[in-house]
Amino acid sequence: MSQVIACYKWVADEADIRINADLSIDLSKAKGKISDYDKNAIEAAIQAAAVLGGKAVGVTFGTSDAKPSLKDALSRGLDEVCYIKAQEASQADGAATARALAAAIKKLENVSLIICAEGASDTYSRQTAPRIGAFLDLPVVTSVSKMELTGNTLTAVRKLDDCLQTVKVDLPAVVAVLPEINPAPIPGLKAVLAAGKKPVHELKAADLGVDLSPLSTISEIKGYIMDRKNIIFNEGDLAEQVKALVAALRKEGVL
Amino acid sequence: MSQAEDKFDAIIVGAGPAGSACAYTLAKAGKNVLVIERGDSPGSKNVTGGRIYTYALEMLEPGIFAEAALERRVTHEQIMLLAGQRAITVDFHQPGFNAEDQAPVSFTVLRAVFDEWLAGKAEEMGAIVACGIKVDRLIEEEGRIAGVVAGEDEMYADVVIAADGVNSFMAQEAGLIQDISAKTMGVGVKEVIELPAQTISERFNLQADEGAARMLLGCTEGIHGGGFLYTNKQSISLGCVFTPEEVAQHKRSVHEIFQDLKMHPAIAPLIAGGETIEYSAHLVSEAGVRGIHPKLHREGFLMIGDAAGFVINTGYSIRGIDLAIVSGIAAANAIIAAAENIASVGPNYIQELNRLKLLPAMKAADGYFEVLETPWIYDKIPNLANDIMENLFRISGEVPLRMKDNVLGAIKANGLTVWQLAKLGIKGVRSL
Ligand SMILES: Cc1cc2nc3c(=O)[nH]c(=O)nc-3n(C[C@H](O)[C@H](O)[C@H](O)COP(=O)(O)OP(=O)(O)OC[C@H]3O[C@@H](n4cnc5c(N)ncnc54)[C@H](O)[C@@H]3O)c2cc1C
Repeated sequence: MSQVIACYKWVADEADIRINADLSIDLSKAKGKISDYDKNAIEAAIQAAAVLGGKAVGVTFGTSDAKPSLKDALSRGLDEVCYIKAQEASQADGAATARALAAAIKKLENVSLIICAEGASDTYSRQTAPRIGAFLDLPVVTSVSKMELTGNTLTAVRKLDDCLQTVKVDLPAVVAVLPEINPAPIPGLKAVLAAGKKPVHELKAADLGVDLSPLSTISEIKGYIMDRKNIIFNEGDLAEQVKALVAALRKEGVL
Repeated sequence: MSQAEDKFDAIIVGAGPAGSACAYTLAKAGKNVLVIERGDSPGSKNVTGGRIYTYALEMLEPGIFAEAALERRVTHEQIMLLAGQRAITVDFHQPGFNAEDQAPVSFTVLRAVFDEWLAGKAEEMGAIVACGIKVDRLIEEEGRIAGVVAGEDEMYADVVIAADGVNSFMAQEAGLIQDISAKTMGVGVKEVIELPAQTISERFNLQADEGAARMLLGCTEGIHGGGFLYTNKQSISLGCVFTPEEVAQHKRSVHEIFQDLKMHPAIAPLIAGGETIEYSAHLVSEAGVRGIHPKLHREGFLMIGDAAGFVINTGYSIRGIDLAIVSGIAAANAIIAAAENIASVGPNYIQELNRLKLLPAMKAADGYFEVLETPWIYDKIPNLANDIMENLFRISGEVPLRMKDNVLGAIKANGLTVWQLAKLGIKGVRSL
């Protein structure tokens, strides 16, 4: 049976992240969640698996903190999840993440499609899908806003800055989807209950046989203050003020 | 799925303290339990002052308080009477409330953390907790409640337990209560203000893990209600409860009155430099035993916690969390004792509520309701007390008033009579 893979990441909920007065980041109160865009990737995998008559399988690379993600991911309709549980995930960059995910996917049989979100809601590096494609030597289609499967062919619409591009690839392939690909539904009661009974395969870093050290390391994370121009248009009468405002906006290229 | 697979021994609606305590006790006895919570995590939407009286946790599982997600151990019980810029604070310090070899009397608590912890304990015992799901309807079959509907899914159980809090929609669905009346409810607003632990300990004169709980009178501009302040580990919970009916007729909003309280010269220094990290509002039952719903069960259905109306408000303390836990245990015991005889669950439940002293405790506190009904205790009494103090301490070189004249003069100046005060006193002594 063919398998459709959804890669997802467990991230800190940005609503709970606080930036201290000295611009340092306080993650201590932040709860975890499945990266919002990955919820669309999961839904896309479920829909694709239904068309292909296969299984939808989630793959995640995370520390032990990511454990609560399993039930959430499964309640969204995945048939199983493969959980690469490794401390290395906390320091991973795009290269290490993609290497881990690709190694785990390689262990699975009959993989016909691998779906990632365009980027994660925390780092938004946009590296995972392209790098997995490179590791597995598969075609990669990014920025996908619409996709359709007919037989062994995937037709994907890529949303570019100001136009839409339609691409065809033969499976197996890797796609990176945008959130507008589908509305990710909120799981219902039965789906949540069923999640508890679905299989989870846990892998350790050693099981993968690949080097998980990052190629780039994070030396600092801090908040920033948006510089504002603070221009006040109060010269002359109202008409003149509006004129000055419009002129300034034109100059900035906003109009 | 067949109906057999969709059937539980009990479905509990709501993962507040009532629901989780009930689930814990049932699961521990080997029952097949499902808890459904609409919040994304238990406690995410729940509001409390708050403090929790430890005896209830001891009843759930002796010693469990030691690992519970709680804040400070309350050893300072305080009452504050505010009038204008003035304030009288009574501070009862009993270090023995936190003696080494026994459970402390009470803890301050933050609900988002506590509720999640308690629901987690129920899960450890084997209960299934499904979050992010709202129960929309009850299923009725042959005159009994047989299950719940959430979205497109139906789920069945021998007993459905309404633990969905004040103004229980489940109990309305079951036809056991009408829509709530504004008369018996208070609306509470609350802020959690973050401060370093050390600062809080210094400002409130607290040792290590000690905490203070303070009730405030005279901070509601005469509206039936009062304020509260609890010291958490690294934050202060400050709030006010008002009777909504009187608020509607009042010229200023709840929010404005509450902001004034924060600026009061006796409160402002306590929270100075703090950052408000949470603002919330919620209803709370004010009617005590009179607010308990006349029918707490029907076949296949029980109500516990706030859904049943179990709150005691004495003016010097609000008790709801402990009663929620006790009633959850009572419901679980009733189901366990009933075994196959589902019809006996309801009567068992009432029996358990009496045996665990919940109903007797609520009846005993009934007198407070009448005393708290007296409209002038919310402004004139705190003002009177502060006037007497002021006359006592303002030494000017004049011949001081005799104590009797000080008191009588202050009573009169506040538009009260000795007779009114005596009547309140008698009412108090009689009813309490
Ligand atoms: C301002 C204020 C201060 C208070 N201070 C204190 C205090 O200091 N000490 C004290 O002991 N008590 C205090 N109380 C009272 C106390 O908060 C309540 O008595 C207590 O929370 C009751 O617990 P419960 O489990 O019955 O209900 P709740 O804690 O209200 O829990 C109900 C749960 O049900 C869920 N729910 C509701 N409807 C549905 C549905 N349809 N489907 C699924 N889930 C649903 C809710 O999300 C919630 O999690 C205070 C109350 C207020 C408002």
